[in-house]
Amino acid sequence: MTTAAAPVIAGLDGLLLSMADDEFVIGFSDSEWTGIAPMLEEDVAMSSLSQDELGHASALYALLAEVSGTDADALAFDREPADYRHARLLDQGRGDWAMTIARRYLYETSDAVRLEALAGGSWRPLAELTGKLQREERYHTMHIDAWFQRLARADGEPRERLLAALESLGPDAGTVFTPLPEEPALIAAGVLARPMAALERDWRSRMAASFANLDLPALPATADPARGRSDHGDAFTWLHGEFTMVRRSDAGATW
Amino acid sequence: MKGDGHGGSGPELEAWEVFRQEKEGDPMRHGGSVMAPDADLATHYAREMYGRRQESVRLWIVRRADIVDLEDPDLLQPPLDRSFKKPGGYVMREKLAAAREAAGQEKPKARAR
Amino acid sequence: MTDPLALDPVLSPAERSTRGAPARRRDEAYDAWFGRFEAHVMGGGKVEAIDAMPDEYRTAVLRFVEMHANSELMGVLPEREWLMRAPTLRRKLALTAKVQDEVGHAQLLYRIAEDLGKPREAMFDDLLAGKTKFHNVFHYPTVGWADVGMIAWLVDAAAIVAQQALRDSSYAPYARTMRKICWEESVHIMHGRDVVVTMVTGTPAQRAAIQDALDRWWGPLMQMHGPRTPREKDMDLRWRIKAKTSEELRQEFLTIYVPRIRELGLVIPDPELRFDEGAGEWRYTEPDWNELRTVVTNHGPMSEARLEFRRLARAETAWVRDTILGVPAAA
Repeated sequence: MTTAAAPVIAGLDGLLLSMADDEFVIGFSDSEWTGIAPMLEEDVAMSSLSQDELGHASALYALLAEVSGTDADALAFDREPADYRHARLLDQGRGDWAMTIARRYLYETSDAVRLEALAGGSWRPLAELTGKLQREERYHTMHIDAWFQRLARADGEPRERLLAALESLGPDAGTVFTPLPEEPALIAAGVLARPMAALERDWRSRMAASFANLDLPALPATADPARGRSDHGDAFTWLHGEFTMVRRSDAGATW
Repeated sequence: MKGDGHGGSGPELEAWEVFRQEKEGDPMRHGGSVMAPDADLATHYAREMYGRRQESVRLWIVRRADIVDLEDPDLLQPPLDRSFKKPGGYVMREKLAAAREAAGQEKPKARAR
Repeated sequence: MTDPLALDPVLSPAERSTRGAPARRRDEAYDAWFGRFEAHVMGGGKVEAIDAMPDEYRTAVLRFVEMHANSELMGVLPEREWLMRAPTLRRKLALTAKVQDEVGHAQLLYRIAEDLGKPREAMFDDLLAGKTKFHNVFHYPTVGWADVGMIAWLVDAAAIVAQQALRDSSYAPYARTMRKICWEESVHIMHGRDVVVTMVTGTPAQRAAIQDALDRWWGPLMQMHGPRTPREKDMDLRWRIKAKTSEELRQEFLTIYVPRIRELGLVIPDPELRFDEGAGEWRYTEPDWNELRTVVTNHGPMSEARLEFRRLARAETAWVRDTILGVPAAA
């Protein structure tokens, strides 16, 4: 994937960073299930989902690195916690299995709407990557749907835990759609088809239908929507400490 | 018969056999098995265990309980001679040699392949 | 790798697998059948999961496979810590894939053991209660990224030497699984060696970390295949469940890997280690079999912490198994 003469599209770096950080953080959090998922077969499945997200993050950081003239690893690892631009939805710790499934469900469905709005965009490298991501995400959607349905429909502990997770995540559920800096420029350039606010409305009506079908309470409005990709909190600070530990131990070393 | 551990209600974990095809045109070959409560998750787990490395182009996932197994030696390896059903039952080297000699003919050269 | 029989010499009678005794003689018809079965496997014949087999053979295979499965499962934990800390995107992906493979191997092996009659929940119960064992190397701490490289290279290498010798096991499901596992493990060793070579040619701190890791891991590696045991008494060998002795595996590991370690300028912390041309084998300082015994009976530096971590994780997810997955409760 090359960008011989990367176009100067205002807001492109902000878009790529938000997507890459989303995939990076959810990939990291869910890789915490490795070795300790509810069943061995499911352990392997969840690990594949995490690896896919990390692969997607790598591809997005690589694209951003070309646009901004930096290095993918430097982007992924060398910022302070406050400089990461992932959605607040992804900030809580791993939690129990219901929390992981609920968060993934909310994220995957949001990501699907976002990718639809980027598919066929005017900047070809991103449009091509979007096409590939959509094909890979099909399996994620199938798997997370399977679990979300099963938890919601199983009376007793599974459903109770799912309800508790949704209640905890609810105020941050819509943060994937936090308006991006210079969003109008992205739309004018044909990179993003519609504003994030419109995408969020679409997503919320899909969620309303799916939640009604499963007799789940409606999602609340996003708390503090302007800061939906900031103020990441202690859990992320801890995660950041972990994933930068080795790199910081010998700055400049090759690993 | 399934249901012994649960009294019949709720999901039950059971074995599903996975057959895989390495590349187009290959026969389906048995890969192994996964445990799952239903066909949907069995399919996902089969994909993980036998396809996550892009090593398969097709998978068949079958409930072990649905497989009919035959290994009865009386049916598959019966005792009487059946060589007339196989190529090895038609050795005619000596007859051919005699026929060629009688006809004064040489053995034809092997065809170029 | 250590198999249950190989550990017996370092264990007290109460700790040993109850093996080694000749098959019980029952009646003439049974003995004749047993004799035919033995002739079959000793002559290279194969056994499938649904075949009739003597209890002694079934038990021997189950015990062997169960320990192997336990080791894959526990082997995830030392590396799992470092998943979160991998210093580049590519290393993170490679390590996640590697650890995923270990979990996958555990699945393959527990499936084989399940089809021999023992439910996985019962195997987890026994592992967490300390009734069954897992390989020594997974009882030690990983103190840094250098350990991650060293384990992925040399521990996996020592394991693959053993696994390759199992590819023609008389128990056919195990043989087939070993071929799949060996193919997958070859990638892990390359990843490990790449990490080690990168650090050895990196900063002084990185080089020192690799030498330090080798200094700490060499002892457990030399103990890994277990003490020398007499061929004649090894029922796993007799029935061709496995094909090589502990010592044969250790010698093979040394032959392949000593040159590869030395070519990086690393010093193996055993001044006695040398190849005896006359005898055609490696000489080395006798491994510390007391250490092996201490460790595999779950008194190693990380044994209890890791088992406890597993117990907690298992308890945490029990509700999922009991409801959605329909896992039957262990008897």
